[in-house]
Amino acid sequence: MPRRLLGLLLVLPALTVILFLFVLPLTLSVVGAFETEAGYGLGNFTKSFALYSSDILFTVVIVSLSTCLIGLFSIAIGGYLTLGENPRAVAILRWLYRWPLFIPFIVVGQVLRTFLAKNGLMNNILVGAGLITPLQAVSFLDWRGIVIAFVWKQTPFVTLLLAGAMASVDRGTIEAARNLGASRLRILIEILVPQVATTLMVGLVLSFVTMMSVLSVPLMINAQSPTMLTADIAFRINAYGDYGVANALGLISLAATACVAWFYLRQSMRERG
Amino acid sequence: MTPQGFLTITDLSAGYGTTRVLDRLDLAIVKGEFVALLGSSGCGKTTLLRAIAGFVKPSAGSISVNGTDVTRQPPDKRGMALVFQSYALWPHMTVAQNIGYGLKLRGRSKAEIARRVGELEDLLGLAGLGQRKPGALSGGQRQRVALGRALAIDPQILLLDEPLSNLDARIRLKVRHDISALQKRLGITAVHVTHDREEAMVMADRIVILDRGRIAQQGTPQALYNRPASPFVAAFMGAENRIDLTGRIIADRVEIAAGPNNAPADLPRDGRPLADGPLEARFRAEAAAIVAGESDGNPARDALDLPGRIEAASYPGGAWRHSVRVGDEVLLVDSPTPFALGAAVRIRIPAEALFLFVRQSNPADPEGSLSDGTTGRVLEASET
Repeated sequence: MPRRLLGLLLVLPALTVILFLFVLPLTLSVVGAFETEAGYGLGNFTKSFALYSSDILFTVVIVSLSTCLIGLFSIAIGGYLTLGENPRAVAILRWLYRWPLFIPFIVVGQVLRTFLAKNGLMNNILVGAGLITPLQAVSFLDWRGIVIAFVWKQTPFVTLLLAGAMASVDRGTIEAARNLGASRLRILIEILVPQVATTLMVGLVLSFVTMMSVLSVPLMINAQSPTMLTADIAFRINAYGDYGVANALGLISLAATACVAWFYLRQSMRERG
Repeated sequence: MTPQGFLTITDLSAGYGTTRVLDRLDLAIVKGEFVALLGSSGCGKTTLLRAIAGFVKPSAGSISVNGTDVTRQPPDKRGMALVFQSYALWPHMTVAQNIGYGLKLRGRSKAEIARRVGELEDLLGLAGLGQRKPGALSGGQRQRVALGRALAIDPQILLLDEPLSNLDARIRLKVRHDISALQKRLGITAVHVTHDREEAMVMADRIVILDRGRIAQQGTPQALYNRPASPFVAAFMGAENRIDLTGRIIADRVEIAAGPNNAPADLPRDGRPLADGPLEARFRAEAAAIVAGESDGNPARDALDLPGRIEAASYPGGAWRHSVRVGDEVLLVDSPTPFALGAAVRIRIPAEALFLFVRQSNPADPEGSLSDGTTGRVLEASET
């Protein structure tokens, strides 16, 4: 058998999997987004925007806000892990911060639902501590709950990447700044973060994409309108069997993540150039 | 040792975990002096420098600058600037930003920073490179940026941690002179860590040789080169050839008995703390000569002859370097003309090039520890 054929044969299983499980479904759903009862057109999109424009905005705002918060928290945690001077506190934090990584989104939703509800654990503690009266207790099971769930779940992931990158930064660059009199906060902002900016961006882009695709958290925490696009897609399919609008909403989420990816690519191209 | 130094280190001990790296070390450096800390890896020279800089907390002892105790002060309150071995430039900042960062931290105005950065760029030959990132510079240029960043804050003391070890051999030779000329011009006190003997000799006013966390010897380059106080220092200063002898002290002369590997000799004692019994002799390849033919058996005066046989010869430039077998030892000796392989020759070492020490401990000679504390006395004698 010629060598080229043999090589092709070896790649074939992987290629088949990608073609049938990834490229084909993606193409079908893209095509499906333009398919209406009256032939191909933009009908599904006009319907999507008419029905769900507030949800689209809600999704983008929630996920963007969560991404910003994740960035801030992971810089703070990674920075302390790298620059912290109390070895015991650093060891404890290093051990603690990864736990949410091992908890699935659905469990996060479940846990936060019992924690953040009007008569949930959080309000019980606050009332018990005398900080608020039972009448003042409010439920956090709305957009705030989603943001809390996302940040809680995704911060460890970005921190993991970021702390690794910070640890591999030349310690000399940190010591040189200390030698010249920079405070730890300045070292973090002016020396450390710029050197790991690419890793931070990668982590945040990946988190953004992950959060755009989470269904369980909005379903469990935010059973009201407006909600996130994933919940709408599930609803269109489960309640109406309306694959056209579902596909159009999917394509809109894809466009949102593509914007972020483009932003990241442009940034990294500029850095290289 | 000068009792009152500008930078004074007293009884300093430091270590990592249970390992003690510095062992009750004393050192005084006067203002404007260029001191090189020389030693092999693991001798504690970098730890000493980092302790001076404030990055290593000493377990005991004190460091003071101009009479002020800075042992517990943070690194930036000590009036020192450190140049790192890896340069540790900030890759995301331009050359100008790197040099000006210390001034920015001190809250200087933009105009003042720009003026000072411009001065330093001119001084260091970096003019026109201010807007480049460190990644777009050569090794030598990066090294100068690191130096500029350290000098920008007008430190009283400049600390250099093997700043030349990452440079090409040829650039290194030039930068050596650049740095010591700059140091003289600015009148700054400098402490330079290196494992390169020649670099220390060329750059420093005083060399401090460290061995296992203690000072083995310190003095001017000439003093260390010509009068090493211990076999360790002699070896470090290039006297790698070693031969065991037996000697007897007669007034101010040392009489070397004929041994299996050496002819008898009569050498001046030259004030050295020697004693009757086994001696260790060391000499440099370039300080000895090769003489053809066998010894006549008469004691040589003011020179030592070692009969041997040529094993190999090579030409590293300038002179022929021969491997000469003397008994079980192979010694390296230079000669302006090559000798035939296998030729019977004598190595002749003039008395002033032969470093003699009391042999401390020899596995073959268990009673050989004739003197204890001799090294200690030698050290004191040399620390003038």
